[in-house]
Amino acid sequence: MSETAGPGGAERTFALPDLGEGLVEATVLEWLVRAGEHIERNQPLVELETSKSAVEIPSPHSGTVARLHAAEGEVLAVGAALVTFEVEASAGIVGTVPTEERPTRRVRLRPPSE
Amino acid sequence: MHAEKTAQGIETGAGTLAPETLRTLYRHMLAARMLDGEAIALQRQGVFPAYVSLHGQEAAQVGSAAALDPEHDFAFPTYRELAVAVTMGVDLVGYLASHRALWHGGLYDPIASRFSCLNAVVGGPVPHAVGWALGERLRGGPGCAIAYFGDGASSEGDVHEAMNFAGVFGSPVVFFCQNNQWALSVPNSAQVAGGSIAARGAGYGMPGVTVDGQDVVAVFEATRAALERARAGGGPTVIEALTYRVNPHSTSDDAGRYRDPAEELRWRERDPLLLMRRALERDKHANADFFTDVEDRVRAECVRVRDEVSVLPPPDGSDMFAHVYREPTEELRRQHRVWRDEVEQ
Amino acid sequence: MTELATTPASADATASEHSMQQAINAALRTLLAEDPATLVFGEDVGRLGGVFRVTDGLQAEFGDQRVFDTPLAESGIVGLAVGLAMNGWRPVPELQFDGFAYPAVDQIVNQVARMHYRSRGAAPMPITLRLPSFGGIQAPEHHGESLEALFAHVPGLKVCSPSDPADAYRLLLQSVRADDPVVYLEPKARYWNRSPGALTEPDLPIGASRVVREGRHATLVAWGAMVHHCLRVAEFAAEDGVELEVLDLRWLKPIDTAGLTASVRRTGRVVVVHEAPLTAGLGGEIAALVQEHAFRDLRAPVQRVTGFDVPYPAGPLEPQYLPNADRVLLAVQRTLEF
Repeated sequence: MSETAGPGGAERTFALPDLGEGLVEATVLEWLVRAGEHIERNQPLVELETSKSAVEIPSPHSGTVARLHAAEGEVLAVGAALVTFEVEASAGIVGTVPTEERPTRRVRLRPPSE
Repeated sequence: MHAEKTAQGIETGAGTLAPETLRTLYRHMLAARMLDGEAIALQRQGVFPAYVSLHGQEAAQVGSAAALDPEHDFAFPTYRELAVAVTMGVDLVGYLASHRALWHGGLYDPIASRFSCLNAVVGGPVPHAVGWALGERLRGGPGCAIAYFGDGASSEGDVHEAMNFAGVFGSPVVFFCQNNQWALSVPNSAQVAGGSIAARGAGYGMPGVTVDGQDVVAVFEATRAALERARAGGGPTVIEALTYRVNPHSTSDDAGRYRDPAEELRWRERDPLLLMRRALERDKHANADFFTDVEDRVRAECVRVRDEVSVLPPPDGSDMFAHVYREPTEELRRQHRVWRDEVEQ
Repeated sequence: MTELATTPASADATASEHSMQQAINAALRTLLAEDPATLVFGEDVGRLGGVFRVTDGLQAEFGDQRVFDTPLAESGIVGLAVGLAMNGWRPVPELQFDGFAYPAVDQIVNQVARMHYRSRGAAPMPITLRLPSFGGIQAPEHHGESLEALFAHVPGLKVCSPSDPADAYRLLLQSVRADDPVVYLEPKARYWNRSPGALTEPDLPIGASRVVREGRHATLVAWGAMVHHCLRVAEFAAEDGVELEVLDLRWLKPIDTAGLTASVRRTGRVVVVHEAPLTAGLGGEIAALVQEHAFRDLRAPVQRVTGFDVPYPAGPLEPQYLPNADRVLLAVQRTLEF
């Protein structure tokens, strides 16, 4: 969940979560909300299809839908932006979004002298 | 102890068997009894490291095994099924080789004999019987499987899983429990909740039959009925043969530490060979000459088996490596070479 | 949640990109088609197509006699396989998750692994036990275990684990066609990642490893999901001018001693990376093999980067339990500085 300050409150972007034990992507079947629409938390947001099942995603926020990031039929990678909300400043953040699995490093190697 | 009606109504008990069949049943029981005696002697003579006697359970084993179709059925024993092996015509030298500790599974061919390897994990072979039976049905074959286990093994999870699988699949399998009253030192009262293994059949959707395990004819009839039912697509049956392990659990056991010898005496009076002999004499199916003759022939056969198993060569050390895999790994071949270079003299 | 009526897992064997889940599905389809004795069964593998959809569509295509659901009892499932094998079938049972293999250990160890031996070859056990394995998916307890050392220790079993879709296809064909029992460990964390590579016939013998990246400074030895991880680490090392070789062991029994030795000859340094706990893990076995067979080629002691000797942790702790890039790099550094 990324958060940026926006007019009339914060913008929060909801990224596609891993919907089932190691899945890497999902297809947008049908949007159940439109941009500009005000929705309540847990209101049906979008229907997705994964390799395992079709699943309806309940909205993680109450607020106004600012932008939909994918068209119906589009395949999204886990971690990619799904929808951006304008939310009241007090709205809580739920859940965690799996980060792109790119590993990080701190250790640097010193090559052997040959 | 008498044959009983089951919860689901299958009758067990006396039937009308041909006198020749009755005499054959007696001969198998006698052969098992005499061979069992030879095996106990061989243990005391230092030839067998240990032995597990089936004395007292001959009727349960012979009656059930004699009901099998020797061409199509398949038996899964534990380690006390000598009389089943006798009845099914298993190579008895190869069978007793297991007790001489020459090869754990015995030296007979289990597939050709339709009698699986001796198995010391009680309960372990019971799901094998279900798998074999399921495979037979998938193939459209006529065979049935019979799984042997005891009152002790009836506590094993595998037995319950196997019965449930067979119930769900409707597999042609007979779960044949020899309830010999004692699981080593633990009596039925401390082993079998509810007091009946046959009653468990109801929970798995199959008939449960209790039969007098000292009555070879009753056992034969009960098993034949269960096999006929299975062969006709009726699914599995559990049979509980009430019998008694007259001897200690094994030649290393001392039954005096846990049970009253008077109990053994009471059961010896219901000795299955004695009961069968009386019935044959009563019904005039056998005379004194028959008993003399059959004893002579069986004794000669037992002596042959005893002498042959006693002189079997020990297995070659190479055998340790020969049968681990169908396609041995390079590492196992290397270890085989190490054995040859460093162990074999 | 509604189940899909379609079969997204159905893989076209000629397509160039697959997920491992699709590749294993395709392998099972190939195997069921080529040998009428092959049977696929386990919990939820029939109508549902398995919890990872690996058996998706197989029951519809091959019927419920050859692809079927069993009751929920792992020991029973494996025991069933033994009896089926004794009646001439080629069983490919699935146990739903690694940790649920423990209830079946008696049947696997005492029966599957020994029946051929016990019967002196009369009763072969051509059983391939499919086991979704290893961690990395934030799953519940008993869903992140690594059992390779346990099964590799058992005489009579063979054990393998694929690292990518194309190899998953080849290894499964090879495992099922073999007449010995094979435990086939499927890295759950790699089920859904697609990678290019045609699904082709096995091209290496049982027990062969594969160099998946060549390097000259040190060898990373891994299997399953850790191969992908080690390839990432090798990219980091390359940024620093260190060239790491990555050896995908593929077979955990038998282990490719010749392949290991050949790699050590090239690099002189070895880091074994596995998810399983350290103590008595396969890393120790590999270290022993390397020092037995390539002692003079070694320029540093063999390093092991593994899970810790703790029960597999819950999701948020997974990244701290599993070998991360820094731990592997530190181990590499130790071999470089020795």
